[in-house]
Amino acid sequence: MSNDHTPVRRLMQGNEACALGAIYAGCRYFGGYPITPSTEIAEGMARMLPRFGGRFIQMEDEIASIASVIGASVAGVKAMTATSGPGYSLMQENIGYAFMAEVPCVIIDVQRGGPSTGLPTKVSQSDTMQARWGTHGDYYAIAVAPASVRECFEQTVKAFNFSERFRTPVTLLSDEVIGHMREMVNVPEPGQLEVFDRVRPDVPAEWYHHFEITPNLVSPMASFGEGYRYNITGLTHDQEGFPTANPVEIKNKMDKLKYKISRFADELIQLETEMMDDAVMCVFAYGIAARAARQAVAMAREKRVRVGLIRPITIWPFPDDRIRQLMEEARVKVALVTELNMGQMVNEVQRLVPRHCRVEQLNRYDGEILNPVEIFKRIMEVKP
Amino acid sequence: MAKQVEVVMAGFGGQGVMTAGQLLAYAGMDEGKQVVWIPSYGPEMRGGTANCTVVISDARIGSPIINNPLSACIFNRPSLDKFGALIRTGGLLLINSSLIDVVSGRSDITEILVPANDIAIKVGSPKVANMVMLAAYVAATEIVSFDTLNRMLELKMGKKKDLLAINYRAFEEGRKLTGKVITTR
Repeated sequence: MSNDHTPVRRLMQGNEACALGAIYAGCRYFGGYPITPSTEIAEGMARMLPRFGGRFIQMEDEIASIASVIGASVAGVKAMTATSGPGYSLMQENIGYAFMAEVPCVIIDVQRGGPSTGLPTKVSQSDTMQARWGTHGDYYAIAVAPASVRECFEQTVKAFNFSERFRTPVTLLSDEVIGHMREMVNVPEPGQLEVFDRVRPDVPAEWYHHFEITPNLVSPMASFGEGYRYNITGLTHDQEGFPTANPVEIKNKMDKLKYKISRFADELIQLETEMMDDAVMCVFAYGIAARAARQAVAMAREKRVRVGLIRPITIWPFPDDRIRQLMEEARVKVALVTELNMGQMVNEVQRLVPRHCRVEQLNRYDGEILNPVEIFKRIMEVKP
Repeated sequence: MAKQVEVVMAGFGGQGVMTAGQLLAYAGMDEGKQVVWIPSYGPEMRGGTANCTVVISDARIGSPIINNPLSACIFNRPSLDKFGALIRTGGLLLINSSLIDVVSGRSDITEILVPANDIAIKVGSPKVANMVMLAAYVAATEIVSFDTLNRMLELKMGKKKDLLAINYRAFEEGRKLTGKVITTR
């Protein structure tokens, strides 16, 4: 790696990488309210955005922050906010609005211990389910979980791509440790990573429907103020955006929210596997917990345990088909799910494993991260 | 398993433990190794003890936080109390003997006394105690080369030529301490 030709190679923080990734993806608005351990993202955006012709506003709270982000996006600008658990909770109502109004935006949640103000300076993965079911109602959520500083950069770019591609809010679940640790990142050159911009209408204003049901179910999006007239509301609406009580229109809208994502899940799924070919056991981990898991799997392999690693990077939508297939192909008899919470993703794994497979857990929720040795010990305890 | 070295740098806020750790991480990175640098993060930022962990490895690094590190550079007494007992058997402990008048009392690790503040004052500024310590650590472990370390230092403070000279002197003095390995005082 020492003779790498990429010019910009830096030791940087996960939070810094998120901010740089956002700028790379074309984010030009950040509205936020500082909260530990996410504050460095806001700091980075405040420093960089003016130089890129963007705007940074420190809002009065998290509710206003996400509202401003939605407004900026409707005005045609890629926008994001960053927060931690307590702020993510406050944002949930307006995140629901963004789902309903189909407004692309990115929310970075640098997780800390909860509930409530919890553990401001301690690591956690306890917002896993909040990223899926945080706001009320039926909807399909997209969330990604990076496990390294480099991935913080890449996945922030992906989060923007997904949100623009599917016209929907996307959450990036980071955590206190990834946010604050420094690792080497080769900052990609412009053009090296794909950057996707929302599809804009190619029809005259009078033919335009802001929520048109298209073949891929994603409607081209005109910005407010550029001559296309439409209505935006949190009420269930028709293709023009006006409230409806018509059961057919209601069902169409709800189906659109689900199928625009679920039918195209292949574009979203990112799954990393290691040593699964001959595995009779797998460790299932995501985000920060996956790093220690990877090392623990290597340690167990040295003791001739046929164990592999499954790590989803896109955690929502959950990679159902791929995991079912992996478990069956590899004849996995034990799945060990390691998380920094009391057990959230374990239920997703549980519903996918074949009958002959036992699901075991290893959880930490004391503000510390799982270390490779304790995962290794647990592998040895529960292996088939 | 791949070769991996972990070092905790711990002291009072302001002693430069974070900077020393970062410099080491930069040097490791420059030599093509995998590195992770993580600060302690909590109420201790406000004046109490501060510490960071640097992991340098040939392979991908699992956990960035190490419960029982292989080595530590300890700048003050509270940090010795906290980390002295955590170092792995066979590990290495560097103690800032200018400010700490005790040792860890362990016989299963190598201990090096570094009068970091005294040397720093001698070379021109008490602020470079961290660099004395870092040099002593690098000399003892040879985890990175001094060439790389010097280059990283220049990158980091290239504009302040006078400070750079003091830092280099601190490196030189710290480097000479390797021989003085002791286990009891």
